Amino acid sequence: MVAELKYEISQNAYIKLVLHALKHKTTAVNGVLLGRVNPQNESVVEIIDSVPLFHYNLALLPPLEIALIMIEEHYGSKGLGIVGYFHANERFGDAELGIVAKNIGDHICRYFPQAAVFLLDNKKLAALPKGKDQSPVLQLYIRDASKNWKLAGPDGGSRLVIKEPAANVVLSDYISSEKWQDVVDFDDHLDDIKMDWLNPELFK
Amino acid sequence: MVSKTEETQLNRLENQVDNGGGGAWEYLCLVRKLKVRRSEKVLKHGLSILNDPKKRSALGPEEWTLYEQVAIAAMDCQCLDVAKDCIKVLQKKFPESKRVGRLNGMLLEAKGSWAEAEKAYSSLLEDNSLDQIIHKRRIAMAKAQGNISEAIELLNKYLEIFMADHEAWREQAELYVSLQMYKQAAFCYEELILSQPTVPLYHLAYADVLYTLGGLENLQTAKKYYASTIDLTGGKNTRALFGICLCISAIAQVSKGRNKEDKESPELQSLAATALEKDYKQRAANKLGLLTCSLRSLKN
Repeated sequence: MVAELKYEISQNAYIKLVLHALKHKTTAVNGVLLGRVNPQNESVVEIIDSVPLFHYNLALLPPLEIALIMIEEHYGSKGLGIVGYFHANERFGDAELGIVAKNIGDHICRYFPQAAVFLLDNKKLAALPKGKDQSPVLQLYIRDASKNWKLAGPDGGSRLVIKEPAANVVLSDYISSEKWQDVVDFDDHLDDIKMDWLNPELFK
Repeated sequence: MVSKTEETQLNRLENQVDNGGGGAWEYLCLVRKLKVRRSEKVLKHGLSILNDPKKRSALGPEEWTLYEQVAIAAMDCQCLDVAKDCIKVLQKKFPESKRVGRLNGMLLEAKGSWAEAEKAYSSLLEDNSLDQIIHKRRIAMAKAQGNISEAIELLNKYLEIFMADHEAWREQAELYVSLQMYKQAAFCYEELILSQPTVPLYHLAYADVLYTLGGLENLQTAKKYYASTIDLTGGKNTRALFGICLCISAIAQVSKGRNKEDKESPELQSLAATALEKDYKQRAANKLGLLTCSLRSLKN
């Protein structure tokens, strides 16, 4: 029996993507996740970093192609690759994985077949300040044998974990201090190349 | 649509007001003029004026414009009580006003009472069937309920009447793109380029859509429009420069073995690449190496 793949996301990768979504509350946003298969444990995918991509016209190819080339070039030299895709829907009440997200997910699977798609869980995010939930405010989608994207079931909670257990506390802090204003995405970079999509100073 | 200069000016003002340096009214006027969506700031700074009787009376007749602006911002931030209060003040001052009627409709929308909002708007439209704002509210409602196809249909009907509304054509294009209906999006940008041929944003968006559609002809046309964008922006548009490189690479892939020689492309590609490298060297030197490698991988 093949062990089910687990995804372990680092605090910084996680927080960066959520803050990006909060910076652009009125549009859909997306991003990619960088990582690798855990060299000591093949059934775990470690997500070590993330890059926020776009907040405008997500379904156009040219900016996406440029972004993926540059991102793969940068992280490839560190032994990391794109292992997942993050998407946040435009509307609060929309909890469906849309066609654009599925298509980009499919594309990433061509290079990393175990790639997963992460959809921002708006309701969970809204409940964040009130609860003590340590689980990520993300929904995990995996491709099944027929290459359809399926929401990881009720036990999906255990398939996606944040490496640092206090991540949601840190996230809540950042939300209160409006840290999302500092997040730079690839759209920002293309509009002004001085803006660095690696966000090197974000968590300093 | 906001230019970079306008955006810089707005951000500077916003920073000033945020840090207690005054200029709140100037800021609010600029937000109105540029039609940008900065609802949290508008709510905060607008209320600080409205809640201060001295500041409020200093506005004179503009006071009512501010009530309207704050009401809308409040609705956007889901502060419905504030919105209700502002609308009440306006209703008292302008009892028969259609404009206030519209605000009431928007309040119903903000509450999620779609059917009631639709009723309110229909009755307002009976008296004035050419009220552009109400037509747009109905489109916004369809969008808010996730009914993008209906929003597109309503917007098409709107464009048949108000075909000079450029922002509406842009919105339509974006709706089509979100549904991956690129051909229809292309048509919208064609209309925009026809009516405003010197706006580089439309050339760029058109090129992006054509590239996404793919196919040799579309790629070649996309290349032309990235080139015209570069022309119209004095060579300063990063996206267009990248676009040229992407097109040439994609065209080469598609024409492999088709004996179609593209003589101008190697020159065009190196021109675009050089322009990009020069810019990165100046303003984003830490990414220059990355850029060079990426452009190289595009060439192959």
